[in-house]
Amino acid sequence: MSQLRAELLKIRSTRTTIGLLLGLIALALLFTILTCTLSPINQLITEQDQASLLSFGSIAGVFSALAGVMLFTSEYRFGTIRPTSLFNPNRSQLFASKITAGVMSGLVFGVIGEGLVFSIGLMIWKIRGVPILMSGANETELIVGAIIGTALWGAIGVAVGSIVPNQVGAVISLLAWGFVVENLVFGLLPKIGRFLPGRAADSMMGPLQDKLLPGDVGTAVVIAWAVVLGVVGLVMLKRRDVS
Amino acid sequence: MTYVVQSESLSKRYGDVLAVDDLSFAIEAGTITGFLGPNGAGKSTTLRMLLGLARPTSGQSTVFGTPYDQLKTPARRIGAVLEATDFHPGRSGRDHLRSLSWAVGIPDTRVDEVLALVELQDAAKRRVKGYSLGMRQRLGLAAALLGDPDLLILDEPANGLDPEGVRWLRDFLRDFASGGRTVLISSHVLAEIAQTVDRVLIINHGRLVTESTLDELTAKVGGAVRVQSPQLDSLAEALQREGIVTTRSNDHALLAQGTTKEHVGDVALAAGVAIHELVTEGSSLEEVFLDLTSGTEPQ
Repeated sequence: MSQLRAELLKIRSTRTTIGLLLGLIALALLFTILTCTLSPINQLITEQDQASLLSFGSIAGVFSALAGVMLFTSEYRFGTIRPTSLFNPNRSQLFASKITAGVMSGLVFGVIGEGLVFSIGLMIWKIRGVPILMSGANETELIVGAIIGTALWGAIGVAVGSIVPNQVGAVISLLAWGFVVENLVFGLLPKIGRFLPGRAADSMMGPLQDKLLPGDVGTAVVIAWAVVLGVVGLVMLKRRDVS
Repeated sequence: MTYVVQSESLSKRYGDVLAVDDLSFAIEAGTITGFLGPNGAGKSTTLRMLLGLARPTSGQSTVFGTPYDQLKTPARRIGAVLEATDFHPGRSGRDHLRSLSWAVGIPDTRVDEVLALVELQDAAKRRVKGYSLGMRQRLGLAAALLGDPDLLILDEPANGLDPEGVRWLRDFLRDFASGGRTVLISSHVLAEIAQTVDRVLIINHGRLVTESTLDELTAKVGGAVRVQSPQLDSLAEALQREGIVTTRSNDHALLAQGTTKEHVGDVALAAGVAIHELVTEGSSLEEVFLDLTSGTEPQ
């Protein structure tokens, strides 16, 4: 618990996370205002059309993963891993605290990202007179799925940062995976691509696309990715010398 | 004898390079020990193994009788500074300390105490990127002192410090050790710490070269007393009667081995010999250090 407090302080005490949060807010506002204002009403006539637009808040997952990556890579980049490890030589405890901090910051990213997109999107459609077709249950699934998915991306980011302690390497790996590899594999081989963490996280928000996994399976797949990467990250942290 | 730090046959290999080679030593409580060796001798690697940051290839080390990573809250017994740059530049000095102290339940009042102790209270809320090197060294020291430790381990703490900073550090360490606490301080320059330490451990190419008190090392300096006189033959005879070995360096000087210039002066006076020059010649402490660290071949 003490180590978790310390990790949360590390997140709050630099401008990195604030910068990521501001970036997310700017992107979410820009996308929501433009798309919800400019989309022709005839392209918003199904529940799936509307859910697809409102699911943009899940972009918070990218920011959450980056914030998670920073939790380890900043320590290596600036050498603070040395005093951190001297104060708490129990690396399992350190790892667990960083994962928890990553999940907690991910929850904040998720609430802000999806909260902004959903509330502002609906407000714009109401002003435009677009009939809201999503049921309450689907709205809940979309919001909760986006927030939990974003939180899990925070854990995945922490694990990736432990596996690839070089900050630039870890960030590039993560972005290349999310924006290139997943899109490519899902586009070419959707039956395989839907098991990748990004697409599995999409399925947590409801039936946005026909090719995605069912929501509960998708949730289990994302958790499995987080656990597998977490175990690899922990083993590497425990075996690696702090130079 | 109470040993605070013990290393037993500690070795560390990185690929083909044997960074630390079968290194054994022990450090007594209440001493200031200089851990000396040229750059690349294996000092930092040894300290990292002592502090549980690096896993030894073979051998073991203990601090207060226990491997560092098995101590419950080591920061409350051991303070260590390994690099002067281990800070997030965008974090304030105070938050840096709090991010460490919170991990072991040390209250913020102690954070403020150590900031005052290292004279950084006025800069506490400034981001570390605005700190000078000396301020960063002191912030590192403040982190090491958070748990009010009994043992301080510092790796090259005087690197990059100006003379005022070196003096501050020397005074601080003397004050710290005056209460019976223990300091292990590494350096590649003996002169930097000679005025501070009681004992020295000298390593080279990962191996222990010598372990002694500073007095013992100083005794090795020896050297010779150079004396000029118009009556060299009489002086040489008088010195030899006292058991002092002399050699003639040129027509007007003698080199008296293993003695002091005061003794030579007394002998000359007793013998009624005039002296024109009387100086101690010989290797400095630093030269002894260099001699000791140049004789071991790398693996």
